[in-house]
Amino acid sequence: MSRSGRPADDGGGGPTLSGRGLTYRHPRAERPALLEVSVEVSPGRLLAVAGPNGAGKTTLIRTLAGLLHPESGEVRLGGVGLGGLGDRDRARMLAVVPQSEASPFPVRVEEMVEMGRYPHLRPWERAGRGDRAAVEGAMRRCHVWELAGRELGGLSGGEAQRVRIARALAQEAPVILLDEPTAGLDLRYAMELFRLLAELRGDGLALLVVTHDLNLAARFADRILLLDRGVAKAQGRPTEVLSEATLEPVYEWPLRVTRHLGPGVDAGAPQVVPLRRDDP
Amino acid sequence: MSPYGYRMGLLAAGVVAAAALSVSVGASTVGPTDLVELLLGHGADPVAEAILLQLRLPRAVLAVLVGGALALSGCAFQALLRNPLAEPYVLGISSGAAVGAVGVVVSGLAVALPWLLPLGAFAGALGAMALVLQIARSASRGRLDTRVLILSGVIVGAFFNAVILLLLLMVDAESFRSAVFWMMGNLGTAGWGSNALLAALLLPAVLVLVSLARPFNLLLRGEEVAHHLGASVARVRLVAYLAGSLIVAAAVAAAGVIGFVGLIVPHAVRLAWGSDHRFLMPASVLAGAAFLLLADTAARVVVAPVELPTGVVTAVVGVPCFAALLIRGGRR
Repeated sequence: MSRSGRPADDGGGGPTLSGRGLTYRHPRAERPALLEVSVEVSPGRLLAVAGPNGAGKTTLIRTLAGLLHPESGEVRLGGVGLGGLGDRDRARMLAVVPQSEASPFPVRVEEMVEMGRYPHLRPWERAGRGDRAAVEGAMRRCHVWELAGRELGGLSGGEAQRVRIARALAQEAPVILLDEPTAGLDLRYAMELFRLLAELRGDGLALLVVTHDLNLAARFADRILLLDRGVAKAQGRPTEVLSEATLEPVYEWPLRVTRHLGPGVDAGAPQVVPLRRDDP
Repeated sequence: MSPYGYRMGLLAAGVVAAAALSVSVGASTVGPTDLVELLLGHGADPVAEAILLQLRLPRAVLAVLVGGALALSGCAFQALLRNPLAEPYVLGISSGAAVGAVGVVVSGLAVALPWLLPLGAFAGALGAMALVLQIARSASRGRLDTRVLILSGVIVGAFFNAVILLLLLMVDAESFRSAVFWMMGNLGTAGWGSNALLAALLLPAVLVLVSLARPFNLLLRGEEVAHHLGASVARVRLVAYLAGSLIVAAAVAAAGVIGFVGLIVPHAVRLAWGSDHRFLMPASVLAGAAFLLLADTAARVVVAPVELPTGVVTAVVGVPCFAALLIRGGRR
């Protein structure tokens, strides 16, 4: 394996993360949180996962990341079953930005991003030049280099989110999963974040983004997976998935699908407009 | 010199200074000049030499070992439980270790088999920790509740203190003195042999904990984040709980229950130099050693010729710290 942590690829770019027929049930839960869900996160592709609250989106990420073990189905990363990979091996190939996190003690931005180098270092090994370069590169890419000495708790929501993404980039993993990275961000931060994801996708990374924002998903994602109560209701290109007939029963709400007016590359992308219940 | 080396040097100098103070102050008239003469190799007064080498020096070494160990265990439990108030005394683990040790004492085996004492303390510490975690988990909805955990630790600790008293009074109605030793701690029993045993137990456990510095940094961000970053969370937790309990058990078996060192010291180090465990843990070992040396010196001289239990001094300093952390945590 090269110093950059990119493992030998299987054909195209980097490795593919795939889940086949994943079923997961929370302890003591009656119905499964995921039922027979299959996904593929491929190099150079951005997969958006959408669905109502409680649809199983976070459970899907945790299962794909090896945090939860499915009762049936299998997760494979670069052709290898996730169970066959050690924690550090897995983390060099797969980075995850979870929805939220908190620490009982303050931490500086730089320390936070350096944590991304954990899977690249042996227990007593010191960070070398390559590690420092990876950390700096990730921080510059996410525009948080200027914040290096600041404490995380003193940053705005958008800045803190960029720091968390920088930490994932410092892992130099070819596959990244993000759980609602734009939650709580204003439209500028949300657009900047998706633009960054589009760049990473252009670099050949395999990306999965859980999002409630169907309209951003429509513009930036190659494919959308629509989850509803643990079941994959639709999966395909945004124009295929985002239709009134598909979305209305899932969200149990009347809506119209229009087109993005442009200008720009997004002109014509489907855009979802929820109606009022009492609208005609 | 790197800031890391500079700070560690500063702390090491603090330990040496505290040790010199501790060794040269006491109830007898043996003082700093006797220490200087001994160090220079001048034939000092034999009584002074015996007091220094057989009483005060082993006692200072014990303070270094116990203080460093307790401070380090505080760092570990705070990281494992993601709780700034976690500390072996507050969590009831020290009292559990004391019950285990007292059990060995009461059985009469401790005289013939001195290594049984830390072993009994280890069993007691593990039992107490399992009990406290179980109570706290059952009592909190969903995630482990910080305040419920501390409350469980305090009630389990109170219960164990009652057990200590009960066990000791059953064998000997006059044993209040040793009960005070176990419940409030005392470094007066120090000897070279017991210090060597303690050091042999502490060293591997200390190395194990310090080697977990980076996973501890990740654990502070939450177990899920630590997993995603490549830490083997279950293994790290198991190893750290075992090593942390062994450290507490060994310290309690040697010096009784001395509270709050694991609370005060890591927080002081964090305030000064941040919470990166790669520095925090070794620095806490040194700072804990210096702190307990000073606390023990105070315990010997404040109401001389009477000697206070060392735990009284650490509690007087520690309880206001605990209250301040509690108030700050509650406001957040």
